[in-house]
Amino acid sequence: MTATDAHRTIDAVWKLESGRVIAGLTRMVRDVGLAEEFAQDALVAALEQWPNSGVPANPAAWLTAIAKRRAVDHLRRAERLERKTEVIARDLETRPDSSDIDDAIAELDDEVGDDLLRLIFISCHPVLPTTARVALTLRLLGGLTTDEIARAFLAAEPTIAQRIVRAKRTLAEQRIPFEVPVGPELAERLASVLEVIYLVFNEGYSATAGEGWMRPTLCQEALRLGRILAELAPGAAEVHGLVALMEIQASRSAARTGPAGEPIPLPDQNRGRWDQLLISRGFTALLRAKRIGGPPGPYVLQAAIAVCHAQARTADETDWAQIVALYDGLARLLPTPVVRLNQAVAVAMARGPVAGLALVDQLTGEPTLQGYHLLPSVRGDLLAKLGRHGEAAAEFERAASATRNLAERTLLTDRATAARQASAGVTLAVAADGFLARSDVDSETARSYGQTLRRLRQDLGERVALASVTPDQVAEVFAAAWGNAAARTWNRHRSAVRSFQAWAAEQDWPVGDLASRLDRKQATDAPAKAIDRDGIETLCERADTALRERTLWRLLYESASRAGAALSLDVENLDLANNRGRVGQHWVRWGDATADLLPALILGRTRGPVFLADRKPAPARTPADVDLCPVTGRRRLSYERAEYLFKQATKPHDPTGHGYTLRQLRHSRLTHLAEGAP
Amino acid sequence: MRFLMLSGNGGNEPDETLYVEMGKFIEELSKQGVLLATGGLDPVGTRVTSSGGELTFTDGPFTEAKETIGGFALVEVRSKEEAIEITRRFWKIVGDGQGYIHQVFGPEDAES
Repeated sequence: MTATDAHRTIDAVWKLESGRVIAGLTRMVRDVGLAEEFAQDALVAALEQWPNSGVPANPAAWLTAIAKRRAVDHLRRAERLERKTEVIARDLETRPDSSDIDDAIAELDDEVGDDLLRLIFISCHPVLPTTARVALTLRLLGGLTTDEIARAFLAAEPTIAQRIVRAKRTLAEQRIPFEVPVGPELAERLASVLEVIYLVFNEGYSATAGEGWMRPTLCQEALRLGRILAELAPGAAEVHGLVALMEIQASRSAARTGPAGEPIPLPDQNRGRWDQLLISRGFTALLRAKRIGGPPGPYVLQAAIAVCHAQARTADETDWAQIVALYDGLARLLPTPVVRLNQAVAVAMARGPVAGLALVDQLTGEPTLQGYHLLPSVRGDLLAKLGRHGEAAAEFERAASATRNLAERTLLTDRATAARQASAGVTLAVAADGFLARSDVDSETARSYGQTLRRLRQDLGERVALASVTPDQVAEVFAAAWGNAAARTWNRHRSAVRSFQAWAAEQDWPVGDLASRLDRKQATDAPAKAIDRDGIETLCERADTALRERTLWRLLYESASRAGAALSLDVENLDLANNRGRVGQHWVRWGDATADLLPALILGRTRGPVFLADRKPAPARTPADVDLCPVTGRRRLSYERAEYLFKQATKPHDPTGHGYTLRQLRHSRLTHLAEGAP
Repeated sequence: MRFLMLSGNGGNEPDETLYVEMGKFIEELSKQGVLLATGGLDPVGTRVTSSGGELTFTDGPFTEAKETIGGFALVEVRSKEEAIEITRRFWKIVGDGQGYIHQVFGPEDAES
């Protein structure tokens, strides 16, 4: 065995055993500082002897035996001995050297568990500041060197060393007993122990500072301490709760960072990369906690939440209602702002971003959350979900400047940039789609709004930024499209623009006062006048009337159906034998004149719109499949075009010279029917 | 870091003492927060051979039984030396035989 190999072995043995050795010694000398000193002496002895003699059969017992001898030497040298230690010293002194190790083995087997538990309790004693508790625990229980602790916490070594020295002095000066607390003190002291372990875990799991997002050493150290504690104090439900929580959080380690080290949030993680072994250990630990019974404490509740996530095979399958219920319980026990923030996230998932945001907004004044990056980060996320990208960007920027972790800062800066772009660059098309996708309008209104916005998009361009659309442009489109339309039509489109504008402003999108140049029109149109029957006949029989127009007009007249319904007819829904065609739930019925024309119009086609436009649509304007003929590639004839053609054709007949509307055509039929026409 | 420790079936016939000792050892490893999973394996295994897309399953026992795996332990430790130290203790209980220690790569080993 080379010296280096021996040193590595000694280091390994030390890390595995130092806790138990120090624990045993502390019981002897009643002073953690002294105990550690003697243990260090034993370590030095090992470093001197093992490279030559080899590693002894029971290294822990060897180290304990040597350290005890040092302790006895020390106690002998001391001028005044307390009676108790004197007894121990005499006791040890009278034994032959060879039995030292057997003695140590026996003690390791019997009492070491209790000693270790006492050591954990004293290292995490509330008399010490939290940072000191953490350093001392890692040092005494984890066997970590001061240098290793300093590196894990990105602190200077002298700082950590001083922290440990001061902690040991405090424990000695205040004569903190080396014991497992009992009675009402136990719960409080145990909470302090669990806090230290979870703090170490969290420092490793989401490193608050530095480049890496995780420092696995600290996570593993905390897990190891938790697992040890679970065996030492198997009757404490909260211990198993903490272990379950840490096991399940650790199970996501591989999935929570991307290839460049960037953090991946829970919903986006590849669940196939979660460590199933740790998940099942987590489940087991939580079951142990539940078997102990009693009202669930904060760690058990947090573990139960973690279990909910672990049980969902996909993010969408997450039982958010259950998680909200668990958070409600947790917030009652632990109404800290951080818990309430997490509760708000769960509520947002279960009941929507509006409900979540309402809870988050209650927290913005919390003094303890000032400078806590997750508050603006969560708020930004919810605002972005609501389309309020401008506000979201500001929140993400605030969060980015608040975090000290570089990987996290990069992620937040990226989100801020994306939100800025979304806010400034909302196109008219995107805004219109968002507006039409709302669920709070009925389908009739949605269809009407759709017509208005389609026209605006068509005339102003699909890619135009919403912010750049001016009221003048809107007024121009209106004049061209509906300048001659009935007042009701004009007003309907106008109210669509007003509603759209109000909604866009609510989304926090930059939008002008789009309807400001659109005046409301007084409804002055007289009831539609009937066209006389001979006129219709002449019109349909004119040689220059195309087959499509002839069929459509005949059909509209004979069926007295609305033009919109007639234009919606599809070839596959025609029932030619019975002179009818289905549109949605309704039938459009026609007479013989239409029946004579229809077969020729749909010749060679088995499906798609009956009435087709003259030309194929431009590639950029390809409509939905239902409005496209699979044979000719043409789109469905639009109402506007059909109306235009009818007006052109009827101008010579109309005394006013405007030409008739399709509505008038239908109205004429109703009038003639009333007059007793066949 | 994780290590998978495999132990062969050779060596002494297991007796009552060995079971007791082994039980204590496993308990000890759990108490040290080291053991993630452990188990004994049926010596009569099934061999799987995949060749040219064809799978062949051969039921044991196999003639070279001494090389078969009798048990495993998955441990989480901070260094290979710690894993070796634990193995040392294991073989002190078991006596003669043959085994293997393999590091199980985790996410932290993926980049290197």
